[in-house]
Amino acid sequence: MASSPNHHNGSASKKPKLTFITPDEIAAEFSHHDPAVARINNGSFGSCPDSVLQSQRRWQLQYLSQPDDFYFNHLKSGILRSRSIIQRLINADHVDEVSLVDNATTAAAIVLQQAAWGFSESKFEKGDAVVMLHYAYGAVKKSIEAYVTRAGGHVIEVPLPFPLNSNEEIVSEFKKALEKGKANGRRVRLAVIDHITSMPCVVIPVRELVRICREEGVDQVFVDAAHSIGCTEVDMKEIGADYYTSNLHKWFFCPPSIAFLYCRKSPKSNVELHHPVVSHEYGNGLAIESAWIGTRDYSPQLVVPAVLDFVERFEGGIEGIRKRNHDAVVEMGQMLAKAWGTHLGCPPEMCASMVMIGLPVRLGISSEKDTLKLRTHLREKFGVEVPIYFRPPKNGEVEVVTGYCRISHQVYNKVDDYYKFRDAINQLVSDGFTCALHT
Amino acid sequence: MALRIIMFYRYYVPHLLLRQQNIQILGPKLSFHLSRASSYNYYRNLNHTDTQTNFSIKPKFSSFITDSEIQIEFSHHDPGVARINNGSFGCSPASVIAALQQWQLKWLRQPDHFYFNELQKGILKSRKAVKDLINAEDVDEISIVDNATTAVAIVLHQMQWAFSEGKFKKGDAVIILQCAYGAVKNSIKAYFSRAGGYVIEVPFQFPVKSSEEIVSEFQMALVKEKAGGRRVRLAMIDHVTSMPSVVLPVKKLVEVCRKEGVDQVFIDGAHGVGCVDVDVQEIGADFYTSNLHKWFFCPASVAFLYCRKSVTHSELHHPMVSHDYGKGLAIESGWIGTRDYSPSLVVPSAVEFTNRFEGGIEGIRRRNHDAVVEMGNMLAKAWGTNLGTPPDMCASMIMVGIPACLGVSSDDDALKLRTHLRENFGVEVHIYYQMPRHEEVATPAGYARVSHQVYNKVDDYYKFRDAINQLVSDGFTYT
Repeated sequence: MASSPNHHNGSASKKPKLTFITPDEIAAEFSHHDPAVARINNGSFGSCPDSVLQSQRRWQLQYLSQPDDFYFNHLKSGILRSRSIIQRLINADHVDEVSLVDNATTAAAIVLQQAAWGFSESKFEKGDAVVMLHYAYGAVKKSIEAYVTRAGGHVIEVPLPFPLNSNEEIVSEFKKALEKGKANGRRVRLAVIDHITSMPCVVIPVRELVRICREEGVDQVFVDAAHSIGCTEVDMKEIGADYYTSNLHKWFFCPPSIAFLYCRKSPKSNVELHHPVVSHEYGNGLAIESAWIGTRDYSPQLVVPAVLDFVERFEGGIEGIRKRNHDAVVEMGQMLAKAWGTHLGCPPEMCASMVMIGLPVRLGISSEKDTLKLRTHLREKFGVEVPIYFRPPKNGEVEVVTGYCRISHQVYNKVDDYYKFRDAINQLVSDGFTCALHT
Repeated sequence: MALRIIMFYRYYVPHLLLRQQNIQILGPKLSFHLSRASSYNYYRNLNHTDTQTNFSIKPKFSSFITDSEIQIEFSHHDPGVARINNGSFGCSPASVIAALQQWQLKWLRQPDHFYFNELQKGILKSRKAVKDLINAEDVDEISIVDNATTAVAIVLHQMQWAFSEGKFKKGDAVIILQCAYGAVKNSIKAYFSRAGGYVIEVPFQFPVKSSEEIVSEFQMALVKEKAGGRRVRLAMIDHVTSMPSVVLPVKKLVEVCRKEGVDQVFIDGAHGVGCVDVDVQEIGADFYTSNLHKWFFCPASVAFLYCRKSVTHSELHHPMVSHDYGKGLAIESGWIGTRDYSPSLVVPSAVEFTNRFEGGIEGIRRRNHDAVVEMGNMLAKAWGTNLGTPPDMCASMIMVGIPACLGVSSDDDALKLRTHLRENFGVEVHIYYQMPRHEEVATPAGYARVSHQVYNKVDDYYKFRDAINQLVSDGFTYT
């Protein structure tokens, strides 16, 4: 069954936009979502519209129909096409700088494994430092432990306050951590900086932090932007990091899973990155290595053209989506904070498409376990899907907000989703629900 | 007459039941573009507590799968292609793909619920199914990974740490056969050699006359290195080599390893389950990996890495480190970041599929073997060439000499011939180039690796036979 490359994307040419996608069409594109759930946790697992799923099915069917032909004649060109689109989207200089991997977790492993070799092969001294944020993603922290600590590196965590009031608080803590890293004649070999932290969710001023890293002689900067593409601005040259990764299945409508790892080409970099799963293309550069890591389903990496078609049906494309998501989530966040008598976790300009809102103190959230209990309770009894964050009270603090929810807004959301959540929490409060009593 | 009635029920009734079940979610004849309305209804009907595929064919009488049912299960295969390279990418029947899509839709529908309540249960079910398939002692010994390539990286990565952390000394060795898979050799370079290890490559003669010659070469190499004071930390041995394809006497080789003091043995059974008998307790290795998408009807891609519990070895880790780091490889592998885990979840559905065949996966394996040997002999006779190994050193694939006049005299030629056969004759077959040993000028240098799987028909092999005969009579040659 032959199929031409055009078979896999929508229109090959840009038609002048007469109408944008309608609310009904959007609802149909996401009709596979469980209609009984107020889905306000797009940050965890993302979402994928039906038209992109169709494109994915076509690729999968093509593979099943004749896998050898697919492998020899279609796979590489499909991946290159996706990489080229991403290169333009993120303003990278060369497509060679763009590798496709499964997810940010994989990208982190790639960068950190290279750091581990640095220690093992004595390019780095034992005790040289790697700096990360206290709010770095749990899996990334484990990866740093598995590769850097194990290889003899010294890990410095940048403490950050939460709730946050300004970027200044982040910048000053970061500078202090770099000083620690350079103490006793050590070098800071790598800084791992989130673009948007996961929990609690805050937009970090990465441009400024990268600049500080350069000033302070940090060897390499890796920005973990798991959430970023489709959620924040993503301009590689502006940001200036050595490595930058973002998932495309969170906010860029790809099916699970696909991410890119950007590796800045620079004359001084003599570092070779490798994909940990070594196959035939070992030594041909990370982008080529990553395009074949053994037999598997590469279809999530091939649907990027179809995603572009999808976002261009929206006014302003992905930029328009991003702005409207931001405005909507801030509006909904403020509505909820007002309804519950609490507050936002950070100023609106430090949010992207997600916002942290304090939960009523009466709910008695006093541990991480409580947050999971509450989340499960909301899912099972109220049909609301939202992650909860535990913020331990500092010394001397009483009657403070210790629980924050992270709500998201994506194109499929309706205002009723947030009313549903508002009412659920109000009900729990009026029922006298506390996490301590609930098993 | 009674017999004809029985035959009718055996073949036609299940067939009719099948058509009503509409398993052709993938069928190229049906519209694959689920219309928005129909997709909405379809997805709404999914019961999120439903963990079984809602697709099951229960024939009226207990009868095995019929020929026409098999054709329907593989109707998504390109009908214009004689598909005799099952070894490279495997195959998956429509009913298992349907199960896969069920899992995918469940995730898309409510991923958080899926993550918290369904995923780990599903992976555990698959691991148990694998444990039973390979006669492992304990389900803890089974980790699900993407493919054998990943399993190899996991084991070699552990070796790299052993060098870096001073457990191994520079110059400690890994022993492999010359015919080891190219990607595996690269992985050894990337992890073992780079960390300071030494690679012993045992020469391998092809065509192969007997397994004894392989065992004795292997043993000689080990004895020689030991005599030189070298410590052999790992032996990596294929169960069925890729190109050329030969079933190695793994049990015997493991015994030799134990006798000669090799620390650990890793069997790369990329082709293993469904192609050869895999009994890990019998084989006795420390590690065994096999793909399940090659010969066990799973979709791309799913494999397992078996790690024998009774052996003390440093903890293995999945290179993609996530939340479950430190909880053991099996648990680590169950979550390596957000991705589509549905291929890992359909192993029970694949088991169900194989049980529709007489003798289950064993029966399939035996019949594949007999058929591929028969076809191999037919082709060798038709072309006046030879088989690359004795029949008992083949599983579901066989190496058949290509007529020497075609002049295949490099890897490049082999690839060109393969492409030519695909594009001009609709035959998909893997071609191997064997450098002739200097004293055997007349031996054909090109071999075809021909496979047999349940979807194959004898016409596939006639098509290949005729294609080669045509090339010969056209005077086609690469020299």
